[in-house]
Amino acid sequence: MRTNVGSYKIKHGLDLRLMGSPKPSIADAFNSRSVSIYPQEFEGIKPRLQVKQGDIVKRGGLLFFDKKNERLQFRAPAGGRVSSIKLGPRRAVTEIEIEVTSNEEVETFKRFTQEQILTLSRDEILAQLLETGYLAYIMQRPFSKIADPEVRPKSIFVNGMNTAPFQPDIHIAVAGDEEAFQAGLNTLTRLTNGSVNLCLAENPTRPSSAVMQANHVDIHTFSGPHPSGNASVHIHHIDPISPGDQVWVAGALDVIQIGKLFLEGVLPVTKVIAVGGNGIQESGRQYYRTRIGGRLGSLLDGKYVQESQRILSGDALSGIQIQADEHLRFYQSSITVIPVGRERSFLGWMLPGWNQFSTSKLFLSSWFRRSAFWNLNTNLNGSHRIMVLTGLYDQYLPMRIMVDYLVRAVLAHDTNEAVKLGILETDPEDFALCSYVCPSKMDIMGVIRSGLKEIEEEGL
Amino acid sequence: MKFLLKLFEKQKSLFEPGGKLEKLYPLYEATDTFLFTPADETLQAPHMRDARDMKRTMVTVLIAMMPCVLFGIWRAGHQHNVVNQISNTGFIEDMIQGSLLVLPIIVVSYAVGGAWETLFAIVRKHEINEGFLVTGMLFPLTLPLTIPLWQVAVGISFGVVIGKEIFGGTGFNVLNPALTARAFVFFAAPKTMSGDGIWTSVVDNAQVIDGFTGATPLAVVAQSPDSANIIQTLQSADFGDGFTWMRLFLGDFGGSIGESSGPACLIGGAILIVSGVGSWRIMLSCVIGLAAGSFLMNAVGKSGDFIAFTQLPFHYHLVMGGFLFGAVFMATDPVSGSATNQGKWIYGFMIGLLAVLIRVANPAYPEGVMLAILFMNVMAPLIDHFVLKAHVKSRELYLRRFKPHV
Repeated sequence: MRTNVGSYKIKHGLDLRLMGSPKPSIADAFNSRSVSIYPQEFEGIKPRLQVKQGDIVKRGGLLFFDKKNERLQFRAPAGGRVSSIKLGPRRAVTEIEIEVTSNEEVETFKRFTQEQILTLSRDEILAQLLETGYLAYIMQRPFSKIADPEVRPKSIFVNGMNTAPFQPDIHIAVAGDEEAFQAGLNTLTRLTNGSVNLCLAENPTRPSSAVMQANHVDIHTFSGPHPSGNASVHIHHIDPISPGDQVWVAGALDVIQIGKLFLEGVLPVTKVIAVGGNGIQESGRQYYRTRIGGRLGSLLDGKYVQESQRILSGDALSGIQIQADEHLRFYQSSITVIPVGRERSFLGWMLPGWNQFSTSKLFLSSWFRRSAFWNLNTNLNGSHRIMVLTGLYDQYLPMRIMVDYLVRAVLAHDTNEAVKLGILETDPEDFALCSYVCPSKMDIMGVIRSGLKEIEEEGL
Repeated sequence: MKFLLKLFEKQKSLFEPGGKLEKLYPLYEATDTFLFTPADETLQAPHMRDARDMKRTMVTVLIAMMPCVLFGIWRAGHQHNVVNQISNTGFIEDMIQGSLLVLPIIVVSYAVGGAWETLFAIVRKHEINEGFLVTGMLFPLTLPLTIPLWQVAVGISFGVVIGKEIFGGTGFNVLNPALTARAFVFFAAPKTMSGDGIWTSVVDNAQVIDGFTGATPLAVVAQSPDSANIIQTLQSADFGDGFTWMRLFLGDFGGSIGESSGPACLIGGAILIVSGVGSWRIMLSCVIGLAAGSFLMNAVGKSGDFIAFTQLPFHYHLVMGGFLFGAVFMATDPVSGSATNQGKWIYGFMIGLLAVLIRVANPAYPEGVMLAILFMNVMAPLIDHFVLKAHVKSRELYLRRFKPHV
């Protein structure tokens, strides 16, 4: 039994006051007739396909495994007929679509009780995670890729607070799956000799006791603006990564899925998704319990005007653009729909700026409309300019990192310097706000991503 | 404005790759985005961006400079009318006269500098940077109003090309381009940049007002005999009540076009600080450095037969010459200044300190702010280097605190 061991106040950062937040209540939405899995989502995996078009697969049936580690297998999220296999450039598999049958067959795996899990060996747990592909829910830091089962991480972090816009609140999403959440935590405790750190918001609006009083983990609370809910920030304050260290990270919602797998011995069918954003009608903005890998249309159709919206897997700051006719991604826990912005205003640099949101003090709105909620769109609000070192970014990253110099080191391909400046402690998502505020409209997330890649390829 | 927008978008194909005027794209882009905010969308995360961009940032600096520009114009005209004893003139006449004296210099600076800027943008195939809006205005404000226009043109050319573009353009320059331009003219044409006859426009054969010598207050101090009472010397110089502190603060005396007015500089500084565009750390530390320097000089001077300049009190140093203007608009240039917060304190402090040292100890030029800032521009990367080293060290210590836990 572990309890609350620390609370941290985060000062730097920003909570964007956006219109379109989802109603925190869960509706059921199971009507998707197809599911998809996108192998390219799994960083560093080289898939070897085990099915072909027209095959009938069970839920939990093998779809492909990793060429580099054949024990890591990926399985069908629903049973039915493989209706299409899409190939991208260089014949890489981009999507496997399955037409769901009403009476699907189900592949079974080992099942345990909550208490049994605590007595399992590390290898037994890893075996089940590898066999089902659910190891993909556990990411290693640095480099944010699927955890390497050969490595014992110095600690594991479970992120129970996502402070990015419109993300599902674990305290609400856990409803009905309380036992699975604890079971998931139990599996993680067997994977490290260090602690499992559950990081939670200090003052949740509707606290769930299953989360607040989770067992066998260290509970840490964080308060303050985004990115106080980013795993990197948690790690930095609780057990930071020195060069050579590895920690593992899992989202609390994904821990529920892992728990369900171990308790029930079958791949779970549903997960909770938050749908938000000002691009979708108010009636559509809420949480859904929906089919894993299901069609986006089953959640969105009829609730937005398709032409002028951008659909994102994830949040507006660090999400990925996806198309309306696609399916939910493996890692996806939210859909954000935001309007496309191509409007041009006359002499914009001179306008007083009553209707524009800015974190700077250069607009009337920054003085007189501080409590307003904003209808932001995809406009760049400027054009790309050369980087100027100002220290502005540091106000949006609550870590001991001087962002300007880190970015500069990466741009200069000085990987040694980048490591010294702390790049290994970060993930591109941590720089979303820095990019957001950048007056030169730089792609700082992209810079950091390429820097991490370069270091990973070179080796430490 | 819809028709104007349509007109512009219609012409776009001419300037795009393959179009007849493809080479002039930067010029088209600059005009187009000056008139209408760009329609560009975010290509990747973050999918939304803040409303602030470089245009607005630079325009804010320009707005902050407006009090200095307007005061400079009024003062040029007012001084002209007072010194030449032209009767029956009021505010309007002063402004008209001042505009005639000052605007040509500003126009030449913008036109010639802008041409270089555009040329480099075309050759390098990038957009025209808004930073030039600031450089092109800062430079004229640091000049005496009697400067020949061809020197303005040569100066701004040097500032833009040698001060900025040969380093790779905006963002890569080591020195502040406007100050580089001024320093070039200062050393290349010392006759038009220093001395007594250049700060006020005097009509040929005019009956100038009694007491007028054209000397700036700093020159008066520099030329006063050893052990003289510096305050009295200042008050007996020039016409009227001489250079009282209040007059020096308000700025109605001879000097470079935009630098003389304390209130105008303070308004500009306030705009920069409140908008977050200019660094208050640099401005404040410049003043602290100036205070430290002048107190030091005062103390040194007491102990023997030192030149009178050592006795100039801090609050006189503050309002004389181009100190406030330099601290507010020149030292705060984020590209050539120190970028780290700790570095800014050192950088600003040294500017203030060096400004006093050069003023007092250097017999060649009475004003030291320009050289102090340029020198610290060169030193800024070094300061930041040490700050960064300390930062890396403190990161290591922080990480080590967690090591035993493993």
